[in-house]
Amino acid sequence: MSDKLKVDLDAVMAEVRERIREKREKGIYGPDVEALLRVPLPGGRRIFADDLQDPLGSLAEALDAEVEYDPRSRKPLVGPLITFARRVTIGLVKWWMGAILERQERVNHLLAAAYDYEGQMAPRFGARLEKLERDLKEWREHLTASNLHSVYFQARFGGDESVIRRQSEAFLDLFKGRKRVLDLGSGKGIFLQLLKENGIGAYGVDLDPRTEHILPGELVEILRVCRRALAPGSPLVFVTPNPKTLTVGAYTFWLDPQHLRPIPPELFKFYLEVEGFTDVKVRTFEPSEKRLNESVPEGPIRDNVKLLNETLFGDRDYAVVGRAPS
Amino acid sequence: MTAVHQFHPVLAPADAMSNHVFALRKRIRGWGYDSYAYAVEAKAGVADVRSYRRLFRDVKPDDMLVIHFSMGHEVIDQLVKIQARRVLVYHNITPPEFFSGINPHAAAHARLGLRQLARIAPAFELGIGVSEFNRRTLAEAGYEETTRVPILIDWSHFATPPDDAVLARWQGFRSVLLFVGRISPNKRQDDLVRMLAYYRRCIDPEAHLVLVGAFRDQPQYHARVVALIERLGLGGAVHFAGSVDGAALLAYYRAAKCFVSLSEHEGFGVPLLEAMRFRLPVVAYDAAAVGETVGSAGVLLHERDLAEAAEAAAIVSEAGDVRERLVEAGERRVKDFDPDKVAERTRQVLGL
Repeated sequence: MSDKLKVDLDAVMAEVRERIREKREKGIYGPDVEALLRVPLPGGRRIFADDLQDPLGSLAEALDAEVEYDPRSRKPLVGPLITFARRVTIGLVKWWMGAILERQERVNHLLAAAYDYEGQMAPRFGARLEKLERDLKEWREHLTASNLHSVYFQARFGGDESVIRRQSEAFLDLFKGRKRVLDLGSGKGIFLQLLKENGIGAYGVDLDPRTEHILPGELVEILRVCRRALAPGSPLVFVTPNPKTLTVGAYTFWLDPQHLRPIPPELFKFYLEVEGFTDVKVRTFEPSEKRLNESVPEGPIRDNVKLLNETLFGDRDYAVVGRAPS
Repeated sequence: MTAVHQFHPVLAPADAMSNHVFALRKRIRGWGYDSYAYAVEAKAGVADVRSYRRLFRDVKPDDMLVIHFSMGHEVIDQLVKIQARRVLVYHNITPPEFFSGINPHAAAHARLGLRQLARIAPAFELGIGVSEFNRRTLAEAGYEETTRVPILIDWSHFATPPDDAVLARWQGFRSVLLFVGRISPNKRQDDLVRMLAYYRRCIDPEAHLVLVGAFRDQPQYHARVVALIERLGLGGAVHFAGSVDGAALLAYYRAAKCFVSLSEHEGFGVPLLEAMRFRLPVVAYDAAAVGETVGSAGVLLHERDLAEAAEAAAIVSEAGDVRERLVEAGERRVKDFDPDKVAERTRQVLGL
């Protein structure tokens, strides 16, 4: 079809909407006219198509509606006969109809109970949902004892400043020359201070619920966010208690009630690799202070002691290090 | 095969369905077959219609029996037992929901009709929908072979000068909005009345709405629309023309400024094409088969917004480029439903 012949219907509708907008602005098309457009059809029920626009409201009306039937016929001559016949028929099927109606009434009531007919859908559903949400929130609070004031935790489990500083120094080389380093869960800012002293630009985030008591799925989320945010090749370091050392996994890890579950180093490494980080390595540090004496004669006994030391009194923390994919 | 007969329970003058039957009869006879129209009830004003009882004698096993279906009827259950090549043409049944609470009899009839349509499906070698919308309904009702053949419109009814009295009364008004169709809840004349309320308040206080179409079928709905007109203070602005002949209808198409349809259910919508044929721009709510009949030759409203309908009607009523193009597009659209083309297609699908 040539352009000359074509009707631009979109343009017509745009013009329609523009005119309506202007009339609304000038007050020509105001609430009074809107009210006219909503005047119901007098003399009985609304048209079903309109009922469908507001099914719940209409359902309430339909449930209350009385069924009326006028058996009188207005036909000349035969009218009274027809009326009589209808009345007899009604009398005959009355009990049967009654049974059907009774069942329908039960269905209606059950439906009405399932769907509140004050206009709100299924009110008990809403109340139950609210209770579940409340319970879930409470459960998470109880799980991590977050009703205890966290400042006390910081004082008790925040770690020794000199130890943190020493640990942090081990990662300085990784961040040399970087301008924007982010420390998630920066605590007192010991690592940030260290970076600053070495001329590395850095900032930290703490008391962010997303960096506390992390579930495995949340960790994966964090990894994905990091992958999007980091420049290709940027280093990424996570430091966490090492559950491979049994005294940590079975005991010290649980000294902080906010800890949800320990992450084995192999699993953490696996998470990073799956999420596309490259060059992923695990580094352990912070050997236990208490160890079994290994100065026994060479042989099976020394091997066993070494193995026991490694298993029970190995390194208490580990770091998993990777690089953002390029 | 020597004969192709047609049946519909009621045949009446000024009815798109009946016109289709008679126009088709003329064509079939022209192709050299014997052809009669049969009905249970032939209304005054139609000639040459035979009683359905004769079908049981007249139809031979290799004849074709075309049953037009727009309402359920107990006779049809008997007719499908006649040995013949049976074809059903579906003209649509208005869904019972539209009559619920307004006309319980019509609702019950519609329900029975839809049930019968599905029940008799196995008796037909072919189901023809007059629109794609209707064809889909047939397929859903269990008809295995279905196709679409539009309504055969017989334009000869309009081969008459327009009615002078109607022209004299309505020509010269600035805004005359027209809708043609039975007064019926599915056609939503009540919304046309509400739209007129907007039109008179926000566009032209002198606007008029003319509703052409029989109102005896749905007296309850008609009475309620009249009450609505009173409630909105539109007495005198809405004119019920009733059922009219070709000359008067032509005059209404000539005198009106715009054809507006807010119908929510049409199986085809012949008046949409009539309006286009007589150079009247069309604004129509897109429901059921309306969209496929109008095509891109009218302003189709996808939202049910009466203010938008009124403003669209106002724009196409104004003399100007949009109106001109729309009118020309309408004339081209009518050619898509050219009776010769439709007849040829009918002949093809019936294998005549």
